[in-house]
Amino acid sequence: MKKSLTSVLVSLAALGVIPSAPINAATPISQGSPCTTEGSRVEGPKKTKLVCASVQGERIWITKGGDLVVAISQDPGSLNPAATTAGAVHTASELMFNGLVELDEKLRPTPELAESWTVDKKAKVYTFKLRRGIKWHDGVPFTSADVKYTFDEVLLKYHSRTRAAMLTALDGISTPDAHTVRFTFKEPYGPLLLQLDVTEAPILPAHIYQGSDPTKNSANLAPVGTGPFKFGSYVRGSEIVLTRNANYFKKGKPYLDRVIMRVIPNAATQLIALESGSVDFLWGVPGPDRARLLRRKKAFNTLVARRNPGGANCMMTVSFNLNRPITSNPSVRRAIFHAINRQAFLTDVIFNEGSVAAAPFSKGIVWAWGRNLKLPEYSKSKANTLLDAAGWTGRDGTTRTAQGVSGVANGTKLSIDFLHFPNFATYAELYKAQLTEVGIEVRLRPLQSGPFSTAVFANRDFDTNIISYCNGNDPEIGIRRMYDTAQIGSVAFSNAAAYSNRAVDALFQQARNTLDLDKRQDLYRRIQIQLVKDLPYLWLVEPKATRIYASSCGGFRPYSLFAEEAYCSS
Amino acid sequence: MTKYVLRRLTQVAPTIVGIICASFILVRLAPGDPIDVLASGNGDEAYYEFMRTKYQLDEPLVTQLWAYFSNVLRGDFGTSYLTGEPVVHMIIPRIGSTVLLTLSSIFVSTIIGVMCGLLAAWRVDQTVDRVVLRLSTLAIAAPSFWIAQMMLLLFALRLGIFPSDGRNSPGFSGSGMARTIDTIWHLILPMTVLAIQESSTIARLTRIGIVDLLDEDHIRLARAKGLSDLQVISRHALRGSLRSVVTVIGGRVGHVFSGAVVVELIFGWPGLGQLVLSSSQAQDTPVLMGVLILVAAAVVVTNLATDLTYMVIDPRVRLR
Repeated sequence: MKKSLTSVLVSLAALGVIPSAPINAATPISQGSPCTTEGSRVEGPKKTKLVCASVQGERIWITKGGDLVVAISQDPGSLNPAATTAGAVHTASELMFNGLVELDEKLRPTPELAESWTVDKKAKVYTFKLRRGIKWHDGVPFTSADVKYTFDEVLLKYHSRTRAAMLTALDGISTPDAHTVRFTFKEPYGPLLLQLDVTEAPILPAHIYQGSDPTKNSANLAPVGTGPFKFGSYVRGSEIVLTRNANYFKKGKPYLDRVIMRVIPNAATQLIALESGSVDFLWGVPGPDRARLLRRKKAFNTLVARRNPGGANCMMTVSFNLNRPITSNPSVRRAIFHAINRQAFLTDVIFNEGSVAAAPFSKGIVWAWGRNLKLPEYSKSKANTLLDAAGWTGRDGTTRTAQGVSGVANGTKLSIDFLHFPNFATYAELYKAQLTEVGIEVRLRPLQSGPFSTAVFANRDFDTNIISYCNGNDPEIGIRRMYDTAQIGSVAFSNAAAYSNRAVDALFQQARNTLDLDKRQDLYRRIQIQLVKDLPYLWLVEPKATRIYASSCGGFRPYSLFAEEAYCSS
Repeated sequence: MTKYVLRRLTQVAPTIVGIICASFILVRLAPGDPIDVLASGNGDEAYYEFMRTKYQLDEPLVTQLWAYFSNVLRGDFGTSYLTGEPVVHMIIPRIGSTVLLTLSSIFVSTIIGVMCGLLAAWRVDQTVDRVVLRLSTLAIAAPSFWIAQMMLLLFALRLGIFPSDGRNSPGFSGSGMARTIDTIWHLILPMTVLAIQESSTIARLTRIGIVDLLDEDHIRLARAKGLSDLQVISRHALRGSLRSVVTVIGGRVGHVFSGAVVVELIFGWPGLGQLVLSSSQAQDTPVLMGVLILVAAAVVVTNLATDLTYMVIDPRVRLR
């Protein structure tokens, strides 16, 4: 859907002369409609060739070929998704790679590079049978050696999530033959299958990386993968062109000829590019702009996604510093919870793009989040009662002061600070406004990510803060770090509250050692019941990203390899 | 004269050394940890330690500065924390884009600025003069990001005659003439935004320079001889007033670059400005330092060139 100079000149010449033509007014079959017959047919006044193809499990008519132009907000710099968890790198590069398994929308593992797998009863040995006949983009066959190399030398060293989750638990990876990979763990390990998709564990070609520093290999800028698209070109700060992998092991896919990732750092420019037709797909659009675009006569469609290439199931979370006298009091934390109208955050801050958090765990981890748990509801009167009882008193409309609060001198104002990234300023304003109503003074401290991490994690210099904690596909990946005693420390985005509860630590460990999902679910439920009692954090809202794309395109998936089945008519 | 040139040349090296030390220390003293960005919220202690050792971030600051300095002298600007790539490899492909953007806008703004300045001085205190003055005040006062957005809305979205972003069309594969035309088509909007403010400054300086000169004795003499206003300006006043214009253009290279950071960001122009922004956000110190040194050196060198040009235009400088 790119615009060329000539087409613009032509349209300029025709400006105001030719009204826009009605699109396929009398077309009996349109792109995207279900197939009743197989094969291909030519449709419409433009003689577009439609092909019956499989998109997300359905057979529909689509246009094959063509370009998809995707706006990305950051130049990735590297196209090696195994050596980092950076969202920019994953966004630009995942389409060129695969994981051993794929996780569908409900996080069910389905075969990808691995054809099948078995797990021993104790959940200590996982054996994967690899699909035969897969070739790297350079023609070299894919084997178990690639898997072993990628884990040992890249993922377990540089992929911070996979490293943190697996390194200490893993005993070793062996390759009994070229098409078998065996993971052996020191103790039972439940979450493995949720950590093997292209985001958590993309597989790299050993024959290219072996013997080099994987963070400096030149293939990081011209990758060789197994994925649906091959590397075409990369112009720094400008664009990455991916071309169709005609030998992709998922026969017939992908449908597009090229995917062009265009670096447009400024969100407003991205919108203009989409509206003027030079870009087809945006990863996210702010609420008000989205509403305006969607009013424009079906020119754009949306797709809601919980999982982003950089992290999945993110939850906006307020941390309470449990080492500070004010916020260490559970009644005060409960009072703050009661004073916060989380529904207002959903409607006014994220424009209903997501939901109010219903439990400590994200609803995106469908099997693990605690259904029917009761978080403190919005009630100013309850907040006031709790604060009064805790010794923080004051007349309506003024800031409360301490009267007999332990660790605090009488007469001290009830004043807390709130650290936030500058781009979370709207959260901060609303938080401040709502707490002021119950007599809590809030001092906002906007900080860029570097200084933020130093203040919160290294210096523990905060009362409250807000962090987007991405919960991941499994509680072991993104949730445990928030509550584990061992994760209190200077590492950024670990246990910000400094919450420590030996029983919770033990339950997390037990859940990790359990394979059976029902049993794990029960363990995580017990953890969440305890967390709702202790309230070390305020679980605010779960934002979802709304992708927006030109309606001439379709077939995008809300999870990894988003364009594997995408199509665009030019 | 040779002595003057030599003296100016010997000042260049210490200036650059000073800039390297100062910016290294400033960048390092800024709060934050590059490993935070690499871990993007997922690392454990072991990961942090591993990466710190890998990038030698656990050494004392002075040791790091010394190591950095000796590497730079050998032409090694280090490797990016984020991409593992040599900094030089990341900078070189972007220099062209930034040079194209900044030089073209300096060129265009000089021509337009000098012409407007002449026009205003020629008809001083008349309508043309007032229009030039008011428009230039407006252009200097308006923030460039606002001008950029307005231009995008008008020319990229409403009229659709210029592209919104990038240096070439998406997936552009042409070469030669086709590529040049495509690039110029993409260059026009960002270049114009950058040129608007510059040309306003230059117009005002040219105007005031000429108006001042018109009061001087040699100009009065020229007038007394019966030359017309236009002849007086073009033959006598212009050369004199160019002195201030040259100073401004030289001194504005740094300013234009900082303007280019904003313009490159908004128009997705793949130059050094974008790199400065992304590397400082990612705390990718080696890359940030590399660009800072390059820009500082460019400013120092253009200042030197300005001084030398000045000497050619104004003989009095040679005598000092």
